[in-house]
Amino acid sequence: MKTNRQNDGNDDAILKDSPYFLSENTDVKTALLKDDSETKILRALLERPGFSIRARLALGFLLFFALSVGITITAYIALNHMERKLIFLEVADLFTNEIQQARRYEKNFFLYGSDISNVLEHIDIADQLLDSARSELVSVVGEKNMRTMESHLSKYKKLVIKINTLSIDQESSELPEYKEIAEELRSHGTEMLSFAIDMSRKERDKVNDMIRVAKMAPVVFSIIIFLLMLYETNFLARHIIRRLNRLMEATQRVANGDFTPIMPHRRFRDEFTNLAVAMNSMMSQLMHRHEILVRSHKLRAVGTLTAGVAHELNNPINNIMLTSEMLKEDYSELSDEERLDMVSDLVSQAERARKIVSNLLDFARESEIEPELLDVGQIIRETLALVGNQLKLHNVKPQLDIAHNLSPVHGDKQHLSQVFFNLIMNAIDAMPEGGKLIINVSNSSFEASFLEVRISDTGKGIPEHLIGSIFDPFFTTKPTGKGTGLGLSVSMGIIRKHGGAIRVESKVGEGTSFSILLPISTVPAEIMHEKSQKNGE
Amino acid sequence: MSNKLRTLILDDESIVCKRLKPALEKSGYEVETFDNPTDALKRIDQEEFDIVVTDIRMDEIDGIQVLEHVLARSSRTRVIIITGYATVEMAREALAKGAFDFIAKPFKPNDLRAVIAKAAKELKSEK
Repeated sequence: MKTNRQNDGNDDAILKDSPYFLSENTDVKTALLKDDSETKILRALLERPGFSIRARLALGFLLFFALSVGITITAYIALNHMERKLIFLEVADLFTNEIQQARRYEKNFFLYGSDISNVLEHIDIADQLLDSARSELVSVVGEKNMRTMESHLSKYKKLVIKINTLSIDQESSELPEYKEIAEELRSHGTEMLSFAIDMSRKERDKVNDMIRVAKMAPVVFSIIIFLLMLYETNFLARHIIRRLNRLMEATQRVANGDFTPIMPHRRFRDEFTNLAVAMNSMMSQLMHRHEILVRSHKLRAVGTLTAGVAHELNNPINNIMLTSEMLKEDYSELSDEERLDMVSDLVSQAERARKIVSNLLDFARESEIEPELLDVGQIIRETLALVGNQLKLHNVKPQLDIAHNLSPVHGDKQHLSQVFFNLIMNAIDAMPEGGKLIINVSNSSFEASFLEVRISDTGKGIPEHLIGSIFDPFFTTKPTGKGTGLGLSVSMGIIRKHGGAIRVESKVGEGTSFSILLPISTVPAEIMHEKSQKNGE
Repeated sequence: MSNKLRTLILDDESIVCKRLKPALEKSGYEVETFDNPTDALKRIDQEEFDIVVTDIRMDEIDGIQVLEHVLARSSRTRVIIITGYATVEMAREALAKGAFDFIAKPFKPNDLRAVIAKAAKELKSEK
């Protein structure tokens, strides 16, 4: 058991040393990290309180409905009120009429001594009117006014009856008591009449006011509806059209190769959230596929390199074979010095072979981005060594010019090496008849704090109408099956991640020149911070 | 003048020259080696060699150019081409252009000796 376990440990150690294991391991790690952030975004999207657009629209329309019901009820109540007032006015008019009639007979009675019973007749009708419409009248004029009215009426009636009995004897009209009653009767009559007229005038005014309000109501209602509609329109614009625009922007981003997932922007979750979630899942799948394609592009590059490397390996192997054979053949005749020379040749050639292989493995290995301070000139030299055979095979003469005062660049060596490799291979492909590959590395002349790597060829050049699309993924001018169309798009992605840019100039028939701009690494921020703090003290 | 066959070896890998020179001298040939095609062509202009062994892929001048140069100077010279993995096409082209034979890297000294012996036999029969 124990030995078994030890063996397992040893296996692990061996695996960890192998570049393949490392690459797989880091792949899994980044995949896990990616999944983690994806689920985080998914959770952020879905954990917001839900408030669907359907609910918002329903709420808006419910508000409309509530408003209409409110208006209807108010209108109903107001009209009811008005109707009651109109009944009152009708009764009040009749009542006033009867009182006026009674007073006319009263006047005739005092002036010409006509029959007073006519007065009583009209007073009775007035009394009946008051009784029949009492509840309506009370609701309009109030209990107190009603009582005053009724007391005036009953007193008037009593006085009329009294004066009627007195007037049976003709002479009683001369009595002071009679005069007193007549006076009182007149005053009650006047008061009753003016009260009734005044009240009906007041109520008429009120009704007129109500009619004015009723005329205004539809106008106000229209304004409120208009405002509500403005809000609804605004809501539609904000919540639907703007969201659609955002999603459209996201699809355009995807088309440009940016697979950043859609982040939650609003407080509530709704139908668009589902769409965003679906799009995020689509993007993560696209990204996954893109990664596979990038990897396959790299594998293709490795394949191209392998052919060259195999040939390159033949040289040291041939040297080793010739040297070892001769050492075996002439062993006894050779001097110690000669033997030592041959053995050291064997060692140096074996070393040369090892370097070729490890160079290729370095290139083929995939690992996490590990930014470090880089000497770009050195990377260019190594990449150029890697493609040495391709250059020779295609009769391309390299010309390397690396400035001395180069500033370091902060970045990932393998990724940058892949970019240079892609551009150099493109340059070679552009010169099927052979030509010159010129590589200049210098501090950029037109962009301070940038380092510029210029890779130029003397090839066929890129036609103007194609220049715009050369960085598009899957764009290729090579025959089907030869190019993946990903080289430049992958390179662009890598350089952008480094905060740099790629520029291209080309003239058909004269050649193409790619400029890679990389930001020069300055003193790390933390150190600067410490320094400024110390200065502050 | 000895009747040894004059042989020129051209390969930009200096170790190849260094090892093949004693190996072929032991087999009785007169050997001159060059790891620079320009120098080799100059020497070829000066003297007629019986056998020229040249690598096909070199920086400035390739083996085909050397072959053409040699045959233009003396058509009886036997030219043997050393090829690498990726240049079978070029070797075929070389044969079409009049090379005697080709030998692929990596090879053993005896492999080359056998090819040279074949060329020597042909040269002898011509005489």
